[in-house]
Formats: sequence, C-alpha cells, structure tokens
Amino acid sequence: MKMAIPHAGIVLLIGPSNSGKSTWLRKLVQTEEILPSEVVSSDDFRTMVSDNDFIDWRDRPQDEAAGLKDAYSKISEEAFLMLDAVIEARGRLNKRVFVDATHLRSDDRKRYIELAKRLHVPIIAIVFDVPERDLLDRDDKRDNPRGRKRIKQQVQVFRNEKRFIKKEGFAAVYELKQPEETELIKRTNPIEIDLEAGIDVIGDVHGCFAELVELLVKLGYEENREGLYVHPEGRKFVSVGDIMSRGPESLRSMLFFQKHVEAGVAWMVDSNHGWKIARWLGGRPVELSHGDEKVEQEFLAYEAEAGSSQAELLKEQLAQFLLAAPSHYVFKKNGVPVLVCTHAGIKDEWIGKQSPAISDFCRYGDTAGFDEKGKPVRKDWTIAHRSSTLIVWGHDPKPKPLVINQTINIDQGAVFGGELTAYRYPERTFESVKAAQDYSGASDNPLVEWERNRLNPPNIGKFLNGYTVTTEEVGEVWIHPDTVKPAVDAVSHSTLPLEQLAYIPPTMSPTPKPSALEGFLEHPREAIDYYRSNGVDKMVAEKKHMGSRAILLLFKDEEAAEKQTGIRAFGVIYTRTGRRFFDETAEHEVVSRLQTELHRIGYFEKYETDWVLLDAEIMPWNLKARELISSQYAHVAENAVADRTLLKAKLEAGLERISGLQDWLDEYSSKLENARTFTEVFQKYCWDVESVGAIQIAPFHVLAHSDRTFFDKSHEWHMEMNQMLASESELFVETEWKVITDEASEQEVIDWWLAVTEDGHEGIIIKPDRFIAKARGKTIQPAIKVRGRKYLSIIYGMDYLEPANLSRLKKRNTGKKQKMALKEFALGVEGVSRFVGGESLERVHECVLGVLALESDPVDPRL
Amino acid sequence: MQLTIKATGENVEMLSYLLAKNPANLYERSQKGHKVRMFFSRFTSDELEATIFVTPDPLELMQNKNNSYDITHYINDREFAVSSIFLSLIRSSLGTALNGQPKDEYMKWVDHRFPFTVEFGPVSSSLTDEQVAALFEPMGYEVGFTRPELHYSFDLKEKSSVRIIALTGLQTLQQVLRHLFVLIPVIDNYKHYFIDEKEIEKIERYGEGWLEDHPMRETIYRQALRFKEVYSKVEQATKEEIVEEAEEVHEPKVRLNDLRYDKITGMAEQLKPRSIVDFGSGEGKLSVRLGFINSVEQVLAVEPSEVETLKARERFAKVKDREGFTEPETMWGSLYYTDDRLMGKDLIILCEVIEHIDEPRLPKALDTILHTYAPKSLIITTPNREYNEVYGLGPAYRHPDHRFEWTREQFEQWCAARNHQGHYGLEFHGVGEEQQPYGFPTQMCVFRRKADA
Repeated sequence: MKMAIPHAGIVLLIGPSNSGKSTWLRKLVQTEEILPSEVVSSDDFRTMVSDNDFIDWRDRPQDEAAGLKDAYSKISEEAFLMLDAVIEARGRLNKRVFVDATHLRSDDRKRYIELAKRLHVPIIAIVFDVPERDLLDRDDKRDNPRGRKRIKQQVQVFRNEKRFIKKEGFAAVYELKQPEETELIKRTNPIEIDLEAGIDVIGDVHGCFAELVELLVKLGYEENREGLYVHPEGRKFVSVGDIMSRGPESLRSMLFFQKHVEAGVAWMVDSNHGWKIARWLGGRPVELSHGDEKVEQEFLAYEAEAGSSQAELLKEQLAQFLLAAPSHYVFKKNGVPVLVCTHAGIKDEWIGKQSPAISDFCRYGDTAGFDEKGKPVRKDWTIAHRSSTLIVWGHDPKPKPLVINQTINIDQGAVFGGELTAYRYPERTFESVKAAQDYSGASDNPLVEWERNRLNPPNIGKFLNGYTVTTEEVGEVWIHPDTVKPAVDAVSHSTLPLEQLAYIPPTMSPTPKPSALEGFLEHPREAIDYYRSNGVDKMVAEKKHMGSRAILLLFKDEEAAEKQTGIRAFGVIYTRTGRRFFDETAEHEVVSRLQTELHRIGYFEKYETDWVLLDAEIMPWNLKARELISSQYAHVAENAVADRTLLKAKLEAGLERISGLQDWLDEYSSKLENARTFTEVFQKYCWDVESVGAIQIAPFHVLAHSDRTFFDKSHEWHMEMNQMLASESELFVETEWKVITDEASEQEVIDWWLAVTEDGHEGIIIKPDRFIAKARGKTIQPAIKVRGRKYLSIIYGMDYLEPANLSRLKKRNTGKKQKMALKEFALGVEGVSRFVGGESLERVHECVLGVLALESDPVDPRL
Repeated sequence: MQLTIKATGENVEMLSYLLAKNPANLYERSQKGHKVRMFFSRFTSDELEATIFVTPDPLELMQNKNNSYDITHYINDREFAVSSIFLSLIRSSLGTALNGQPKDEYMKWVDHRFPFTVEFGPVSSSLTDEQVAALFEPMGYEVGFTRPELHYSFDLKEKSSVRIIALTGLQTLQQVLRHLFVLIPVIDNYKHYFIDEKEIEKIERYGEGWLEDHPMRETIYRQALRFKEVYSKVEQATKEEIVEEAEEVHEPKVRLNDLRYDKITGMAEQLKPRSIVDFGSGEGKLSVRLGFINSVEQVLAVEPSEVETLKARERFAKVKDREGFTEPETMWGSLYYTDDRLMGKDLIILCEVIEHIDEPRLPKALDTILHTYAPKSLIITTPNREYNEVYGLGPAYRHPDHRFEWTREQFEQWCAARNHQGHYGLEFHGVGEEQQPYGFPTQMCVFRRKADA
C-alpha cells in the first residue's frame, strides 16, 4: 500500500493494543525511511516519567487493583502532557511527528486535530484494523500482556468509532487491515523552493500585460518557441499575486502565468483578487467590484467569440490554477530560507506553513475592520517581523519600493499609472517599467492618495516616549526620550520646515587611539591602522576644510521643490543643527547662483534628476562663527599674548639681577610662541566676505539625486564629482585628496598632512574607499578626522603640546564619540534613502530627528 | 595673570619685609597644580619692582565639570585674566601683607604710605575705562589703561577686549592689596564661579576703612556677590527682565498681556468648552486662568520647551487647591506634528503664537489644527501691526523673535484662507485700547465650527 506522508504535521496512528503500530514504526526506523526522532509513543513517555510503560492489576485484590489503576492513570496523564508538548513543539517548528498511541476515542483524536489546526500543520490518520483474535494471540505472546479483557474492550470501542474517523477532519486516512507491505511517499514542503539561479519577484500586475512583458524583457527573459519567457541564466520569475482585475488584460495575464507556472518556469502566490476571481470562475456567487468586474467583461467578450462551452472550459482551468496558488513561497539558498514571497503579509510563525487562516491573512494582510468610507483599515504587520528572512510583498500600492524591517513592498501601482516593479534576488536590486497610463479609472487612486498624505505632519506619539529606527547599516537605533524633547523643541523653533530637512550630517570621530609619537596628539597613522585592522586596504584621504558644515538641497526648479517637499524654493542650505545657514536674502543669492551654475553645466539634464543633495563645508569660518571667534578665540588670544608679552618683559628685566630667572624666561618665551601660533591659527580660516563671491563651498558628498542615493559610490567617485562641480564654479571649490593603497602612498599622505597642517590647515579626513564599509559584518567608522598639531591648539588649548599636558590629554576616550558617529551615520543613510524613496515625511523625519536627538546627548566637544 | 608692585623713594626696601619675601630669591609654591611665582625685577634703595604671577595648570582649571560639554569650557580666558581665581591662588602668598602682620620690627611700615604704581592684568571686563576708573579714583589713584593693538587679517573687532590696568597713588601696601582683592572680582566678567557666604565676610574685612564711604558701594557689593547663585538662574532672570522691560517699552501704559488674557478667557466662557488646548502655553499664564472657567473639565497646556513647562507647573501647583480650579495638564507638543491627544477638543487657543513662526510654515500647522484636530472653536491672537504707529515703533517689530506682524486686513485675509474647507464661521475682535484709525493693539479671530461641518 502506498501512503503519502506530509512533509510536516501529525501522523496519528489509531488502533487497539497489539495492532502493530509500534512494530510498523520500528520497521520504518530500521529501514531508515523515517528518523527515530519523528516517533513519539505514549509508552515511551510512560517509561520516561515513571520507569514503567505498563502496570498490571489483574489477579490483584480489589483494593490493590484500585490503587494501581489510580497510579496508572496518573502516569498516563503526565506522559500525555509530555507527549503533547513534544508534538506541539515539533508542530511549531514545522516538523513531522508520528504519534504512537491507541487513539481509540474520538476525543483523543479531536484534540490532535485541534492542535494541528492551531499550529497550521496537516494531520493524517493511519488506522490499524486487525481482527480481534490476532490481537489476542499477540497479547498472549508479549512480555507484559494487557489481558484479554482489556483488549476486548478496546476492540469494542474501536469498532464503534471506526466509521467516524474519516469524517473527523483528517487530511487523509489510511487503513491497514492485514499486515501488508507499505510504501511511504514522503512529501516535501510544496511551498519551499530552491533559489537555484535566482528569482525575479514581480509586483501586482493587475492585467497590465504589456508592462509585464516589457519588464520581463528588461530583466533579460526571452520568448522561446513554445511562447514561454525564459531566462538564459535559468532565472525564474515569481508573482506576488493580483495579476488580474482593474487593468486591461486580466485574461491574458492569467493565461500567461498559468502557462509559465505549469511549465515550471514561474510561480505565483494566492491573493485577494486571485481568490475572488477563482471563486467566481468556479461558479460561486461573489460580488464583483474593485475592478473584478473588468474580468467578467473580458470573459463575456471571450464567450462571444469562442462560444460558451469553450468559455466554461477556460473558466474551469483557470479556477483550478488560481485555487492551486499557495499563500506564499519560501525560497531557500543552500537549504536556508532566505526570502518569502507573499501577497499582503504574513506572520513569522506561519512561514512555510499552509492553512485557511494563513491563506486569509496572506491575501488581505492584517486588517482591523473598515473605516467610515468602507475601506479596510490596514494594520502594519511588518512591525512584528523579527526573523532575518526577507519578505517580499505587494497588495498595498506605494510609489516606490518600501523597505521596512526586512520586508519589501513591490506594488508600485502599475495599474494606477505607477510602475511595475521586479525585485531581483540574490542581487537585491530593483527593476521597473513605468505604466503607460492609469488603467484603473479609480476615483480614489491610491498613489495619488499616498502622495497627498506623504507630507502630513508626523505623529508626535511615535516619538514621545523614545523610539527605535531600523537602519540598514547598524540595525536598530534607540532614541532616548530625554534626547527627543530638546530635538523636537529645536525643530519647532529654529530649524527649517521638517519637509526640507532630508539629512543631518553625522558627527565624526578623531583617531580612535592617540598618536604613538611624541609631540602629536593625532596622527594619520592611527586612522590608517584602524582601517587596515578592519580589512580596509584602500582609503581616501581628503583635506579637511575649516569652515561650517552645511547641507545643500538644490532643486532644478521650484516645481521640483514643491513636488519633493511641498514647498516652492530653488533650494535650501542648512547647518548641522537644521538651521538656515544664511539669512534669507543671502541664501536666495547663493542658491540662485548655484542653480544657475548647475543649469549652465546641464547638471539636472545630464543626471536626469530634479534635485541634488550635497554634504559640504562652507568657508570662511567667520561667516557663521564671527561672534564665537571674536568673543572666544580672539579674546583668549589677546589675553594670552598680553599676559605673556608683559611677563616676558618683566622676566627679561629681572634677569640681570637674578640669573635664576632664565628658566622662567625660557618657559614664557615658549608660551608666548604658543599664544602667537594660536592667534595665527584661527585667522587662517577667516577672511572678509563683502560679497557672495568670497564664499567658498566645498561639497564632499553628493548624497543623492531624485532617483537614487550615492552611498554605493566610492569616495573617489565623490571626489571626482567635487572636482567636476568646482571646475566651472565661482562658489564651489575643490578638495585636495589622495588615495592610500600601500606603504608609499601612505607615507605620501602623512607627509602631505604634515605639510598642510604645519601651514595651519585643519587636517585631513581618512575614509575607507567605500562609502559604507564593513568589517566582520559590522559597519565601521565611515570617516576619521586627523587634525593638525597647530589646529588642535584652538581645541585643546594653546599649551596642549607641553609634555605634561599632552601625556594627560592622550588618555582621552573616543568610544562614545565613535558609537554616536556610527549611529548618526546609519540614520543619515537611512533618512536619505527614505527621502529619495519618496517615503512619508514621518519616516524621513524619524531619522533626522534621531540625529538631532543623538547630538543633544553630550560628548566631549574637543573630540 | 599677574600683578606688579612698583614703588620709588626712600625705604622702599621695607616693602620686601612687608611682603615677607627675600628679594634675592625666586618665590614659587604650588597650589592645586598651579604655580604661584614671585620675583623682584628691581630692588635698590629707592626703587622696587616685584611681580607676582600664576602659571596655571590649564587642564586642572577645566576640572570643573559644570558646562564641560561646551567648547567654551576648554578655550577661555581663565588661565590668563586676573580674576577671583587669581586672587584665591595668590592670597596665602600675600597673606602677611594683606593682613598687615610682618615681623614685629617692621610693623611700623604697615601703615606707611608709599608712592605706588601697581600694574595688573590682563583684565577681562565689560566695564568701560571710565567705570573702572570710577572704582579706584575715590581712593586716590590715578588709573591708566593699556590695550594691545590688533592686527587681524580680517574684519573682526575694533579694539581689543583686553586691558592692562595701572594704578598710581600714595597708599599703604595693605590698602593697595585690599582694594585689589575687593575690586578685581567686580571688574572681571567671569560667569562660572560660585561664591559662598565667606565671600561677604572677606569683602567686609578687606573693605574696612574705605568701602563704607565708597560712592559706588552698592554697585561693588552687587557685582562682587552676583554669583551667589548658580549663574544660569541669574542669567535667565536677567533675560526675563529684559524681555519684560522691552515689552513695557513697546506696549506702554496698560498691561496688554492681562487684557489679552481677560479677553480670551471671557470669550472662552461664552463658548462653554469642556476641553481647552492652550497651544504654545509657555509658562502657563493663560492656562492657569482657563482652569477657572466653570464649564472646563480639561485644560491641556501644550509647549515644546521644557524650561517653560517647568515654570508652568509651578504656577499651576500654587493654585491647584483653589475651588473650581481645574489644574491644567502640561503636554509636550509642537505645531509641526499631529497629536492624537488633541483630536476633537472644544476649544484650541493660539495666543500670541503665530507671529513667532516663520510664515510659510503656518498654513500646514493650521490645517492640522482646523482639519485634523477639528476643534469646535479656535481662537487666534496676534499683534495688529497698524497699532505700532501708536507706539512709535517705526518698521520694528514688537518683539525680536517676531517673524511678522500683520495689519488687520492681512490677518483677516490669512484667517479666511485657513478656512479653505469652509467648516468654520469667522469673527474678528480687538484687544486693548482702541485708537482710530489704527484699531486695537492686539487682534483676535474666533473660528466657530459650523453645525453641519
């Protein structure tokens, strides 16, 4: 007899004692058809909990027999608790388990049927129907006979119950009458698929057949003689469902997928429209709405052309095809589940399982009733996703693929005039084609609605009590409520409008270790060592300008600004605290000039972008910091020079009388030199700005364009962009830079650093060549600043290099600064990615607010 | 930080005994890592010049953790300027002279007046030369100032913020030192220094015989003891005073604030709200009045600033046991976010709030209020720009933080534009004393939600 055994779930053996259940299982284990761990038996658990699998009370006085019966029933109770716990655990883990016990009573079996339902695993029954006399014969022969009476009782119960078993709800019931040869057909999980050459997951097609074909061609699929689109590298495509309804060519799309799925070159999951159309095709009474009625029209047209019997045949075929679509697929790489494809969402504990409840959830997502207008209120199931498996889904149209918490939504509303998206795995890239038009004719186009709501003010409740931002680079970043408040205060009073704040630059750590050399607090060597020890062989060293950090968001025109931020402007320039860099008049002038320059070099056309986001330093320093320089640095310099000059004169005058003054005089001569260096250093970064032309802007990162970020580009690329922008500009200036690859180039950078810092320049920044660099899976510092000896005197004090001071200052700890730098960097990258992805203001703002909040957490300002 | 004492004429060598320092030696002692040093650059029968100075340990000076997260904590004038730090470091080195307790044989010189020139500095002070001179002149000094010349490579400042001061006069050594020990802290600008009760004693002791009759006695006491409390508190109080003074200047005669609160409270009473949101409630002056409105069961005082909120809480706590008072609940919030807790209230108030917001940011914030929170009523008040004529303000705004001030026409048009969905009926009022043709100093708009909206 052939028996199909499911890949997971419960295989319930049913039959009286001696019916051969254990023997049958033992044989399967012996022949290695099943694993010993797949079998649980009540007898084993009785032994485990009480050392005995059986208690015999026959031939005992009544009082003793009663006591033994009690003991046996207690043992059984404990044994079954353990047994059930194991079954449940295996069920949760989506494993298979053969349950070896008599299961004669309906209640015993129902318990497991319920359990299987709760665990969303299949359950089948194997019934051992052996004649009574054989059972009795066998009992006589066993070591611990159960006794004739008991066997007869069991047989009685079995006979009465047997006919009900088939109706109890088992997925399959097999009956073994005679001891016969059985052949197990072990099923594998039908929804687990090996990734093989890779897949392309296609978003909601909704009858946009032309776009589907266009996308497949763009992905490299070629039509073969059988009319199948196949990939030369063996890739296959997967639909997230909703291939029909709303759009122009539902029938064609369904036939296309049916053909490809049946040929084994594509897969498709179940979906809300798919399920509804399947039932309609199968003749069930369903109300066709939300574009489903268009499918009916297509069938009517088909029927008119091909005749009703042909149409019926087609309906039946397609119904079967659609009903066969599972709730989701699990793609495995080397046996490990890496990607789940489903329509509207899934819960982690359901991955790899199938049940009506799971299908329902995967079709509609997590819904919480309906709103006033009768639309489903969609709850965010992605929050609960904790496992590392990537979930790719559609259903809920968003203008750009939305990556949240290891989930990716790829429904870009092709039928609403958006895009049809493909997500390529394992490449993790997107490909898309623009829909030719809005086919839906819907008055409530979800893309339009989404866009309308995109810039809605963020919900303060999300931030009030602290919050977590999930970043691609460092995972979750916790923003403490104590730091959120000052940040919200800042964005409420002094920053630019939230919509214009795309990015707040991260802080940067100095060299993690102080210089090993005498007379230096910082030195490039330690930065280079840091990167080398993290496996970075190629670095870029950039000259660090001393001015004020600025972010420039420059638009092609006012329309582009309004589209992105809801505010008409040519551009904005803001500080690292989100405040407007210039007053409005100056900003207007600077922005207009930059915009004119960008137009002159055809920047927006060349890069096909509506805007550019630049991370830059704006010089001179006194432009923003005049007051600080005057009241702080100049004031201190004047004090020091006055004090030391006067004292030096006094000491010189006294030297005649007291020769012992020479030491003090030497000390003060040297201190006066320090004061003079200090005075020179800060002036190095300052000059008069009588007109805008005297301003210098050094962009060092081209962070993003309207369609993409540039975090995947090397710093060499960013520097080349800097040269390009500076080459024909009055305001943009070049940044000197060098590449470190070997000993020679390393020495060259050190010599360069020594030379420029001796001249008073601030220093250099050393970056790994890659914008985002990782070591052992973890993101490492994106940049390290190495400041010059002279410059540091305005940070650590003019006498910091005196050995007694320097030795103490070298004990500094950069740990907190480094952690902050990493978190802020990750938030910055995340925020810009969201800004570019056209995500909601709230999602962009949580990153921006996060950096501002982290920055309000105090750290030694000299680092 | 240094002090040079020069004297000429007979018996000047006696000064070395009064100072209890051997003019042939270098004097050096360590105080908390700072070096207090003294030497005699001149010492003849008729000429003496002694300099006492401190070579501080700059890192030790930074040990004070207060304010350590600000770069100004690390780069400042404390290691150079003469200040109470300097005085406390040199005090014990000059103890003999200060206390007038030399060896017995020199006691007679304690009260002897020498023709002194004392030079000290650098001085970091916001006082003018005249003000500084006025401190020393009553004791008979001639006061001279030296300022370093500046050669900055760019336009930074007109003159140096640093001076060396020279005092010339016939004085006893003890007097000179006591004058300096009282007046240097008065001159010095320093902000972060805590002075305990002992300081008062010291001033009294050192001031004996001259401070009582000093014409600037009050000023000296106030300045010398100004840091009795943590500076930040003092600073806030000062700021407040300034703001209040400024308002008084610009909005004279009547307490317009009070009139405004009365008007709003009166209007609110008519509206009979059970729930009121006071947006931008600041230190809670309006909220506390709203708490006394009969119909009110809830007042939400929304404010993003923590400092203001703390003040508001104190204000509420003072009256919280009064009969019929509903204590306002302070809430951390902002106009640029949506807040589910503010939905569907009876009345929202923006009292003198909108003019503190950049105009382009306002429409969206008002959209959130009118069309998301959708209160039954909204009251907005803002200055009436036309009335500034009455104040003689010219083109200036009434408050430096105002981003705009509107005429009545501008305000009315703007309010009408905010009601773009037509859900509200609008009425306009004035607050304060009306002056034709300028209207009222404050203008007010009441938005009432229409029954069918």
